[in-house]
Amino acid sequence: MTPSADTRRRLPFFALLAVIGPGVIAASAGNDAGGISTYSVAGAKYGYAMLWMMLAMTPSFMIVQEMAGRMGAVTGKGFSALIRERFGVRLTFGAMLMLLVSTAATTVAEFAGIAAAMEIFGVPRWVSVPIGAFVVWLLVVRGSYRRVEKVLLALSSVFIAYVIAAFLAGPDWLEVGRSFVVPQVIPDRVFIALAIGLTGTTIAPWMQFLLQSNIVDKGVTAKEWSLARWDTMVGAFVANLIACFIIITTATVLHPQGIEITGAEDAARALAPLAGPYAELLFSIGLLSASVLAAAVLPLTSAYAICEAFGWESGLDRSWAEAPLFNGLYTFVIVAAAAVVLLPGLDLIGIMLVSQVLNGMLLPFLLIFMMVIVNDRTVMGRHVNSALNNLLAWTTIVVVITLTAALLFMTLLGIG
Amino acid sequence: MFYLTQMLGKPVVDAAGEVIGEISDIAIATGEVFPRVTSLAFLGPTKTPFMLSWRKYVDTLDGDRVVLNAERPALRFSYLQPDEVLLARDLLNKQIVDTQGMKVVRVNDLKLSESRGQLRLLGAEVGIRGILRGLHPMIERTAAALTGLLGRELSENLIAWNYMDLLDRDLSHVRLSVTHKRLHELHPADVADVLEQLGPTQRARVFEHLDNVQAAEAISELEDEYQADLIDDLGDQRASDILEEMDPDDAADIIGDLPYDKAEALLRLMGVNEARVIRSLLGYREKTAGGIMTPEVTTVTETMTVQEVIDYLRTGAAEHESIYYIYVVEADRRLEGVISLRDLVMSEPATPVVDLVEREVITVGPDDDQELVAETMSKYDLLALPVVDETGKLLGIVTVDDALDVMEEESAEDLAIATGSAHETGTLAGAWWLTLRRSAWAIIWAVALLGALALNAEYRTHMDAGAMAPALIAGIRYLTWAAVLLPIVLRVAEEVSSRTVAELIGGVDPEDRPTIGTRLLRESGLGIALGVASGALAFGYAYAVQQMQPLGVWQFALATSAAVLITVLVGSALAELAMRRSEADKRVSGTALAVVSMMIGAAVYLGIAYWAGTLLIAGA
Repeated sequence: MTPSADTRRRLPFFALLAVIGPGVIAASAGNDAGGISTYSVAGAKYGYAMLWMMLAMTPSFMIVQEMAGRMGAVTGKGFSALIRERFGVRLTFGAMLMLLVSTAATTVAEFAGIAAAMEIFGVPRWVSVPIGAFVVWLLVVRGSYRRVEKVLLALSSVFIAYVIAAFLAGPDWLEVGRSFVVPQVIPDRVFIALAIGLTGTTIAPWMQFLLQSNIVDKGVTAKEWSLARWDTMVGAFVANLIACFIIITTATVLHPQGIEITGAEDAARALAPLAGPYAELLFSIGLLSASVLAAAVLPLTSAYAICEAFGWESGLDRSWAEAPLFNGLYTFVIVAAAAVVLLPGLDLIGIMLVSQVLNGMLLPFLLIFMMVIVNDRTVMGRHVNSALNNLLAWTTIVVVITLTAALLFMTLLGIG
Repeated sequence: MFYLTQMLGKPVVDAAGEVIGEISDIAIATGEVFPRVTSLAFLGPTKTPFMLSWRKYVDTLDGDRVVLNAERPALRFSYLQPDEVLLARDLLNKQIVDTQGMKVVRVNDLKLSESRGQLRLLGAEVGIRGILRGLHPMIERTAAALTGLLGRELSENLIAWNYMDLLDRDLSHVRLSVTHKRLHELHPADVADVLEQLGPTQRARVFEHLDNVQAAEAISELEDEYQADLIDDLGDQRASDILEEMDPDDAADIIGDLPYDKAEALLRLMGVNEARVIRSLLGYREKTAGGIMTPEVTTVTETMTVQEVIDYLRTGAAEHESIYYIYVVEADRRLEGVISLRDLVMSEPATPVVDLVEREVITVGPDDDQELVAETMSKYDLLALPVVDETGKLLGIVTVDDALDVMEEESAEDLAIATGSAHETGTLAGAWWLTLRRSAWAIIWAVALLGALALNAEYRTHMDAGAMAPALIAGIRYLTWAAVLLPIVLRVAEEVSSRTVAELIGGVDPEDRPTIGTRLLRESGLGIALGVASGALAFGYAYAVQQMQPLGVWQFALATSAAVLITVLVGSALAELAMRRSEADKRVSGTALAVVSMMIGAAVYLGIAYWAGTLLIAGA
């Protein structure tokens, strides 16, 4: 039998199943504690005013994810390895430092999410966070998180509840529609920061590392990419769709009452139209599982990426003696993040927001690396970016840099 | 000494002293252990790349620049030769295989040295020092000075050219020095080690260079989890060719792990005979003699002579896995006896086989446990063990290499029982469970202490309200003391359970094992001794802490002794249970055993102490 006969025998549907997964998982992992709180705050504070950003960002997100996946499929290497091979030690060091900061900050947000979710049940954070950190570390070390991943993903899909809640809340759909297409900018510092945070949580830098290494691990090749691309793009689209519904729900339920979100209970109240008295339960289950999942995935993602960039031994089957830096890195991120959340008098929702703003600020730099690599013919061959890809990606980069610069200026000059 | 990262970007100056560009790369000839630098690549003013012969044009090289011996117009540019390797493009920052250390590493820098007017590549630096230098030479110097202060040396980790194999650039068409050790020249077991460190794409690329025989050997040596993945990634034709090369038992193992469709497709592509053999092996359960045997057996009949057997070995049995034993069979493949290769070689060619055959053959059945097979082979010092069915028909042999694998597997399982990480593979996970197990007693103790404190706090408020029975007060007081002295019981429980685990691993024969009665009797002696000692300790503690009438202190000491005795007995009973489970081939976790014993011990001690307290007051 020739290879071509072999491919013909395979039904396209099964071929699609064979490559599905990495994109959906990476994108849904993005709707984590930081994401949920950012969307909730955006909806509660500014109503539908930020919806247009979601519409504008969705193509960017899909394109960035697509580029990351394509790089993985074509080269068979992780993003950090490509950065290292293209830019050398110095810039790689900078990029890895950024990735580490980004993942560590987001992991802090995940532990804040664990704490917030458990506080709804009256469990104080000095109990929930150490236990949470321990459970997460166990998940990572025992390598069973691939199995648990599916359970947690399923549990965190309770956020689909927002879609139903949005319809039950009965928003003015005309108004919602208008907000999607008519850009509104409120020139104060919180709005700008929230806009950066929204970008940072939607197109989180670590997501590209995660997606690309998942694609490489799955052994997806350039030939199979045309199918895996759909998985990636659909995953990105659905994740953003749910994010939009979180904003719509919170904007409809909380914004008119003038409820400012200061804790998870406030955010949970948005689900009241659907779940009534069980809103808090529903919300905290979703928040908890999304947080635990991301808190396990993030430290590992950065540890793998950094070790790949510097050629250090990595892998969960390696002992501390064999891979000290790999094991040290993820343990450090988990422990440090949990410790930060335990600092007394910390505003949990605030932490989650700040981490996303940080992600947004780091995003353009990593995207620039990506753009250079994905347009390099010696690396990508004929799979380099199309003109449309380039246009959208560069627009994203320029917009985020402008926003960041604006925030810095406003902070420095004390405006807003 | 020069480092590539420090040379890149340095100016190139011609004989007239004019800067004509900056260094962008250096090419080496690939023929030697320390390859000569042959060409200099540099970027001209408009970023145009140029290449020059190093031998012809380079006059001097120092840390700051390269000086040429000719003026700009007199330079004749050259092109990259097929056997040249560009250091920055092909090596720097790239992943390479260190074929000496059998590791996949990333090149952080390249070290060159000048001797007798020749610049040569000393090797690739893969250590942390190269990374620090790449960041900035100052950082490297500072780090070196700091580690020097600590009395350590920040060592360089150099890999010489002859121990490098490039992953990204295919050097198979380049003439390499005779000493160059490429990946596919390594022992298959070493190739397998390296393959496990690579990603799927790179793994496939390495595989392209291995011929089917090498690939088959390397796959056989891979860990099970990678085998099916790798075969799954290869094209069907190649995969089935490789599987055909493998020993049938190894091939059957891999095919058994593949999805049904893929397995069928591969079997169909194979030769009829190979496929039939593998299919027959797929029928046996894993971890049995049938599952690990190979059907390739060298068989002869009694009517042959020694010379005929030897001729047959040379022609018909050349590919068989093991020919140390030659089995004598009847026409219907019933096993009659065995001849060793030694007997065969030592005998006259004309001797009939009948005179040599040993009829007492040690055999196993296809459903026998693989552990039994390995034990049998080790006991009788056999290189191969025949597997026969109930009618005595020879099905195949288990060879010594498979038996060794079984022993490794089983000892790993036993170790897993000991550390309680029966379903874990990583050493780290093992270490983690060991830590948990070591500190489990502390956790239980802490919980008990906290509980006792909480009870005390509770009872104090009730005391103030005067709504507390005196019996209850005494009970809680005893319970608190017991909580303080709890480690005694916990340590006893742990000791008993770990002794059991030791016995499990020691593999004491079931016949030699004591019955439950004997065991309890033996243990109760120990329990009484420990109980008396602990009781004395408890007496001392209670006497010192509390001014109470001697009667109460005695009672507490007795309660302690009783608790220790009961803990020992319960621990032994649990141990017996564990033994039975392990015989029924179920998993036994040493940690679980220890933790359960400790929890029971703790509950018993706290319960008895409380009960003794209430009894005392009620009786008084």
